[in-house]
Amino acid sequence: MKYQSFVGLEIHIQLISKTKVFCSCPNHFGDEPNSNVCPVCLGYPGALPSLNEEAVFKALKVCKALDCYINEKVIFDRKNYFYPDMPKNYQITQFESPFGVDGFFNLELDDGSIKKIRIHDVHLEEDAGKMIHDGYQSRLDYNRAGTPLLEIVTEPDLVAGRDAELFVQQFRQMVRYLDVTDGNMEEGSLRCDANTSINLPGKGLGTKTEVKNLNSSRFVNKALTYEIKRHGKVIDKGGEIIQETRLWDEKTSTSKSMRTKEDSHDYRYFPEPDLPPYRVTDVLMKEVEDSMVELPNDRKKRYMDDLKLSFDQAAFITGERKTADWFDSLLSIGSDANQAASWLSGDIQKILNKEDVLLENSPFIPKRIKELFELINDKKISNNIGKEVLQAIFKEDKDPSVIVKDKGLEQVSDSGAVEKIVEEVLAAHPAVVDAVRAGDDKQVGFLMGQLMKATGGKVNPQMAREIIVNKIKLDISGDSQSRDPKIIEKGSEK
Amino acid sequence: MEKSELLKTAALAKLKLDEQEADKLAVEVTAMLENFSLMMEADVEGLEPTTQTLQQENRTRSDSPGSSNLSNDLLDRVPEREDRFIVIPNVI
Repeated sequence: MKYQSFVGLEIHIQLISKTKVFCSCPNHFGDEPNSNVCPVCLGYPGALPSLNEEAVFKALKVCKALDCYINEKVIFDRKNYFYPDMPKNYQITQFESPFGVDGFFNLELDDGSIKKIRIHDVHLEEDAGKMIHDGYQSRLDYNRAGTPLLEIVTEPDLVAGRDAELFVQQFRQMVRYLDVTDGNMEEGSLRCDANTSINLPGKGLGTKTEVKNLNSSRFVNKALTYEIKRHGKVIDKGGEIIQETRLWDEKTSTSKSMRTKEDSHDYRYFPEPDLPPYRVTDVLMKEVEDSMVELPNDRKKRYMDDLKLSFDQAAFITGERKTADWFDSLLSIGSDANQAASWLSGDIQKILNKEDVLLENSPFIPKRIKELFELINDKKISNNIGKEVLQAIFKEDKDPSVIVKDKGLEQVSDSGAVEKIVEEVLAAHPAVVDAVRAGDDKQVGFLMGQLMKATGGKVNPQMAREIIVNKIKLDISGDSQSRDPKIIEKGSEK
Repeated sequence: MEKSELLKTAALAKLKLDEQEADKLAVEVTAMLENFSLMMEADVEGLEPTTQTLQQENRTRSDSPGSSNLSNDLLDRVPEREDRFIVIPNVI
């Protein structure tokens, strides 16, 4: 490609809190319209905002996770604009001295390499109200006005749409681990605006456009890929890019001009006189540090390096913190990492997907799964019966040992008993026995199948196979026609 | 003040000005700006900007919901309503 492209993201996350950021109205999605409003968030004269400690704490957690420098003196500013979603006619946000600046995020690219994405700043602000438009009027609901919103701004270090998509995915995963937001893009608790510009190599940034209305990470990729291409076409024709905000239209897969972008001085930012500056104390910072958890990319790396899990398994397990926590607690009570990982990403996940239940809400508590593994590893049940027991754990919400006992699933490992069943099966299939004797080892599988069918899979398969082979091998005296030394050799090797 | 600048400011504030109002305001705003420019002459080198005079820092509150029970009273003062929504002219 002839041009170099630059992408920067502005990500807004709705912080989880009981109250709004500057008043004690409930921060609760889905309440009756305009029920969570008060003179502060409706901008009545004389009402004074006061800062929510929980929002501060969560903002600092994100700053810490992004390795930001925490400003000594944090200041709130007014961003002045006139639009009905903000009844005060200004938004309280941060401009000059936000909570965090100069951080970075280690983005993992598709080839596994790490790209350091610089974070310009992390600032706390209030969300606007919701507007519902129809043809001739707009309806307003101010329940969301004043709820805590954290904005994270990256430097234009991302290159293409795919980078941005990965960033949104990995960033979302991180903030969910931090438990600061639910990160639901469809419901708007994580919103992303994307800035992009292109230029000839070495010429620095070009004129940027901003794309809004991106409510999935895939759309972020599509919209940016589209924009970068559009910029190229305009410049190729000798045209100029206008700095503007554009709206992504998923139906047509195109972006449309929304409004020319205000310059930041058009917002007439000035320090919020109603809120005193905020100083982050060492005590608070210590609390923030104590609350930090192992972040998803670090955890994934640990699973791969220390536990030798495959990339896919590690990525799957670390996808959600609760899944990874479940996995860790299973290991902590003594289960094997590989066995745990393959069951979790295999049969356990299959059942959960089918039944549409989350692991942490399912009857699959780690203690039960550990017990199931022990039953299998001690050869009390076969792997296949184990899968059946797993189903039963889900359906009956009981411990595996109880299920095995109730259903009589314990494996028959008594050689006398197995021998008896083998004899029955061999007697029922003389032609197959002959074939095996003649060297067709594959037919042993058929006999095993018959045996399992006859016993409902309850026979120790290794023992059964050995007995079948030995029986046929030792039984050669009874059959003089076809002595095959190969079988004897094979058998005696065992 | 340049008239174009005045009109831009008015547009940002969503104010509609006719010719007469614009001419009148241009003179008044220019006088105000002159006063500001006088202030701008003061030497503030090395001084930290004062953004508020209470000097009290870290005025925060815990994250516990309160109910002002004002919601209905506030809604009653709204010019037009539809159920619990506030209705305004279309502003897309």
